[in-house]
Amino acid sequence: MHEELFTSGRNIPHIDPSLEIWHWPISLYLFLGGLAAGILFFAALFYVLGKEKEYPAAVKFTSIIPPIALSIGLLALVYDLTHKLYTWQLYTTFRIESPMSWGAWVLMVVTPLSFMWLFSYYSEIYPKTEEKLQLFKKFKFLKTAERFLIDNRKYMAYALIPLTLVLGVYTGILLSAFNARPLWNNAILGPLFLTSGLSTGAAAIILMSKNTLEKHLFGKIDLGLIIIELALIVHMIMGYYAGSQVQLEAMEILVGGEFTLMFFGFVVLLGLIVPAILELIELIGYKVPVIMAALLVILGGLIFRFVMVEAGQLTHFLY
Amino acid sequence: MVIDTLKCVGCSDCVVACQTENDVPIGYCRDWIVETVSGTYPNLDLELKSERCNHCDNAPCVRCCPTGASHSVDGGIVMVTADECIGCGACIESCPYDARYQHPDGYVDKCTFCHHRLEKGHLPACVSVCPTKCMYFGDLDNPNSEVSQLLKNRKHKTLAPEAGTNPHVFYLI
Repeated sequence: MHEELFTSGRNIPHIDPSLEIWHWPISLYLFLGGLAAGILFFAALFYVLGKEKEYPAAVKFTSIIPPIALSIGLLALVYDLTHKLYTWQLYTTFRIESPMSWGAWVLMVVTPLSFMWLFSYYSEIYPKTEEKLQLFKKFKFLKTAERFLIDNRKYMAYALIPLTLVLGVYTGILLSAFNARPLWNNAILGPLFLTSGLSTGAAAIILMSKNTLEKHLFGKIDLGLIIIELALIVHMIMGYYAGSQVQLEAMEILVGGEFTLMFFGFVVLLGLIVPAILELIELIGYKVPVIMAALLVILGGLIFRFVMVEAGQLTHFLY
Repeated sequence: MVIDTLKCVGCSDCVVACQTENDVPIGYCRDWIVETVSGTYPNLDLELKSERCNHCDNAPCVRCCPTGASHSVDGGIVMVTADECIGCGACIESCPYDARYQHPDGYVDKCTFCHHRLEKGHLPACVSVCPTKCMYFGDLDNPNSEVSQLLKNRKHKTLAPEAGTNPHVFYLI
């Protein structure tokens, strides 16, 4: 027997009996950050490859999502801070060892870029809105700005490819850097969150696309990403099995514990395996609702972030 | 800091002294008493000890802090600058000892080894009030200090050494 008690009556809010510092805004942000990173990565990649006309949803139409997702995500992040008025302190320094510092600076660059990317396509993808609002006629400088952004789209794309990869990986590294939470503390979380982000990005492009060829291609990409993601999850579980006592205890929460149904039922089965089968059937040539698969992937990605953030905080070294 | 678990009676005087000295808000604490019972009846073993921030050498809270609010000062004490803290909670998530908490004012707070008292040449509040004198505070770099001598001559342990933090609160066993 081994029993530990706080006899001094320690009961600190949000820490005892179990840690509960990060709430839903963090999970939501990790999802939205990954989604935005995925969409922008594909937009930039297909632009650089010169496939702008063939895959308009990937490069143009879906680019409405990242600025909105990142804005909501950033608001959620700030909402979760407890010393909000000091948020600017993030930008007085860069701490190379702190994943959160990396994230803060990457977001500082990617968020404006996402707005600029969308703006450079504004008059092309929303001509009717422009006709109504007449923004370019009212404000002459907007026309100059648009011209400048269109001319420099190539550079934006080159910058976005590495930046979105950092953004996608960082959402996972943010958690895995905490050695005090054994469930998070594994190196695979970075690549896993990146793959999941790219996969939800591809799914969002499928939802926005009206072009069969494009839907088909992103179905294939998504299928590949889902397979990689499943492999990474297997590796993650294997890592826990081969880990120390604290990691074995952490794994029990996912395998046979509190979060088993959420993780294996909703994330793995409904969020990965079912959409993978749907996409595979579609690939073979049968008609299936690919939109269903895309929605499941996005929902699975969201639940995955919630499961990891909540379950990770239940795992610990002491007490 | 060295704490003798064989002398500690778990009276919580250190906890109250800390709360008073550091104006810790009601319901919160920077140090606490843990009672550990282990073994199988009738061969049970009871251990009492006062716990707090371990002022780790390889402090994960300092590493994870995005603004540098959490930092190590001379002598290895880990401190938080309230005006630089944004309250993100990364340090709380990274601490294997759960030694930090969010102050109701928003910033993150924890044990400072009573740095303000040390500057004046006093001992930390918890050490100075301990009725059984089970707590010792001093310079571990000085081989002749009381704490160094205790660690040289007595069996001791640290908490969760497997977390790789190199903690600086030692427990005599």
